[in-house]
Amino acid sequence: MNKNPKGYVSFVLHAHLPFIHHPESDDYLEEQWLFEAISETYIPLLRNYKKLVDEKVDFRITMSMTPPLLWMLDNKLLQKKYIHYLNEHIELCEKEVKRTVYDSRLNELSKYYLNRYSDDLHLFKDVFKCDLISAFKHFQDIGVLEIITCGATHGFFPILFVNEKTVKAQIAVGVQTYKKYFGKQPRGIWLPECGYVPEADKYLKEFGIEYAIVESHGILYADPTPVYGTFAPIVSPGGLIAFGRDMESSRQVWSSINGYPGDYNYREFYRDIGYEADYDYIKPYIAHDGVRVNTGIKYYRITGKTDQKDYYNLQWAQDSINMQTGHFFDSRVKQINEVAPYMDHPPIILCPYDAELYGHWWYEGPDWLYTLFKKIHYDDCNFALITPSEYIDKYPNIQICSPCRSSWGANGYNEVWLNPSNDYVHRHLHKAGDRMVELAHLFPNEQDKLKRFALNQCARELLLAQSSDWLFIITNNTMVDYAKKRIKDHIGRFTKLYEEIKRDKIDEKYLNEIYKKDKIFDDIDYMIYY
Amino acid sequence: MPRKAKEEKEKFEEKAVKKVTKTVKSSKEKVEKTSKSKKAPIISKEEKESKKTAKTKTKADKPKASKTTTKTKKSTKKASTKTKVAKTSSVSKEEKVNTISGEKFEIAEYYDLPYRYNQTVVKLLYQTPTTLFIYWDISVEDSEKLKEKYGEDFFEKTRPVLIVHNETKGYSFEVEINDFANCWYLNVKDSKCNYKIELGRRPFEVTYQGEVTSVKTTPKINTNYIPITSSNTIESPNDHVLLEKAQEMLYFRNVKTNTVTSKNIATLTYLKSIGKIYQVNELYKKFYNEEILDYSKGGFSNPSSGGLSSSSFK
Repeated sequence: MNKNPKGYVSFVLHAHLPFIHHPESDDYLEEQWLFEAISETYIPLLRNYKKLVDEKVDFRITMSMTPPLLWMLDNKLLQKKYIHYLNEHIELCEKEVKRTVYDSRLNELSKYYLNRYSDDLHLFKDVFKCDLISAFKHFQDIGVLEIITCGATHGFFPILFVNEKTVKAQIAVGVQTYKKYFGKQPRGIWLPECGYVPEADKYLKEFGIEYAIVESHGILYADPTPVYGTFAPIVSPGGLIAFGRDMESSRQVWSSINGYPGDYNYREFYRDIGYEADYDYIKPYIAHDGVRVNTGIKYYRITGKTDQKDYYNLQWAQDSINMQTGHFFDSRVKQINEVAPYMDHPPIILCPYDAELYGHWWYEGPDWLYTLFKKIHYDDCNFALITPSEYIDKYPNIQICSPCRSSWGANGYNEVWLNPSNDYVHRHLHKAGDRMVELAHLFPNEQDKLKRFALNQCARELLLAQSSDWLFIITNNTMVDYAKKRIKDHIGRFTKLYEEIKRDKIDEKYLNEIYKKDKIFDDIDYMIYY
Repeated sequence: MPRKAKEEKEKFEEKAVKKVTKTVKSSKEKVEKTSKSKKAPIISKEEKESKKTAKTKTKADKPKASKTTTKTKKSTKKASTKTKVAKTSSVSKEEKVNTISGEKFEIAEYYDLPYRYNQTVVKLLYQTPTTLFIYWDISVEDSEKLKEKYGEDFFEKTRPVLIVHNETKGYSFEVEINDFANCWYLNVKDSKCNYKIELGRRPFEVTYQGEVTSVKTTPKINTNYIPITSSNTIESPNDHVLLEKAQEMLYFRNVKTNTVTSKNIATLTYLKSIGKIYQVNELYKKFYNEEILDYSKGGFSNPSSGGLSSSSFK
């Protein structure tokens, strides 16, 4: 990597899933989101980080790992369920290897999947000892990965902030969870949905957060207008440093018209044997009630705008990766050459993405990153990879501007999380937030053990209800019933406890049961709402 | 014509984007806990043997109310889950299923969101730089007080209004709402301004050919506006590059030492730079528009939070 670069590129992957944990049943399909993400995104990323380190490639990457994701990765039951998931997949793959002998190309692919899932099982059990958090932490400890935190349950600040204490609690518990798992103070935060409100600055500062990632117009529409646009961070009057997303590079990846993931040689997401195989054959591997779902075993490539899909070919996919990383690389070189002469410091091009894009949606994504990072390391290049923290340390002189209230949702503000499909939710979230603050003031530093337990559980339920994911799912019109149920459950549990605490009639058995279901934030202290 | 609070201010033709008439939404989704018959040929499997169980439980997107109710029997003690004993239970509503967790949950849970909280409140949020969202409610106690003061027929004789105050630019305007709604979307014309909303009521007026001919008051309602309560204040977001706010000096903070330095924007390099940087961004805007076109096709498919988001995982 260039030792004296003209500019920098910073990749930030946002790894997040809502907290889904159902010890009471094995039938919730939603629990599989975690398992798919582990197999398709988290393990492939870890595998590639290790390869890069082994090959002595100097690289930098930043990841936010949200508190719900960390608590799920740390959850023994979910680990056990993941192993169960892998065993089922391996068994299915073994059957597939036998079933597909009639076609050598297909047979080769089925063997590839068998290897892949078997390798996942080996890595997860024998190498990582079921502990993916430590595996990521290792790369942070050796200096190639910077992990940042997020709001406790991905609560959307631009709607929560009418009760500032609830934003404060999201930040406090986010930082607390980070410290628990990574043993130090986080320097940066991924604001949930990149939702920026200036009202959060003081709490971010209070809990030691130096910088946040914001959407492009969070910088471009800032007051006063930042002279360097998104090519340099800005610092808010309240002292929060904001890095803005670069539009050109994100467009190259995200565009639905000609974004990289749409390459014809890449794996077709929507052709899955869960939907295509003979029903009786596939039945044991789909939803328990017999509804067809994705299995993750997909044999086709995108091929083109046609329904006649051709078989996936690993080598062709790699050829496309090589071509695209070349294009991405050249585009950044050109961009930096254009901009650098007008700046005092080398520009930074920030490329934030959902981590689960890489691998889950865009199957080749993790290998694409690996190939790109190698290229940046070995090729003649005018830029280097950097983390936001390193950039701040190198160039601490930052223009003072107030970032614009913004988010990375469609049209850039609150529409995704506040629209006629989900607006009914907010009065309940606000009310529960107000009630939580009320409880903290009614029972400050409660000494009674049971009451304290109930108060802490109230805080957990409130946080879980606030997850922006439920609102998003309702807007997106997929799995809506599950999302609505989760809102009702958490608000319902909160309200029941709230009333019991005030009446001083706590149902201990009930409390114990919901504590086992909503097993997150063990060490929470409800006094954050005081 | 009823006069409003700050009548000297210009009045804007307000446009309610949408009126939301709320029904008790959740009650529709109500599930009878008991009516659901739960047949369950529950064959728990040995993990190794991997004979798949044909479970017939409701799938995730069915209401789960009944689920927990089925697990009320102590028939399964904590299975130590390592090796699960294959066991076929009889088809019984009360039978507990062996889950991987082996944990027993006995309490049936079912919740609905309350329709209201009996609280007088007006809450103001922004949806976009020029769309506000307001929800409100009036407590029973406050309603009673109003009836006491203005007569039992107070709510029949008056209509609710929202008075929108733009505190930054110092103007107000009024929106007529109705008693079937409990929230409202409202277009405003100025982004990056502080707004506050007042909920109040006015006596019905009788109009003839657009002219107010009389105001229906009662002896007790001797005013043309009765304030109820006020909202929080919010600032709507900015929606454009603030190039018009040219300043002479730019301020920089060294975040390590906290020293602030200033530079004069008039120096040529800075003028040149701001032009160049934002010229590049103009270029991006063109790309961005392309993406915005996309939104209409695929619903919410913003570069990030759209279809390809972790939130939409699956």
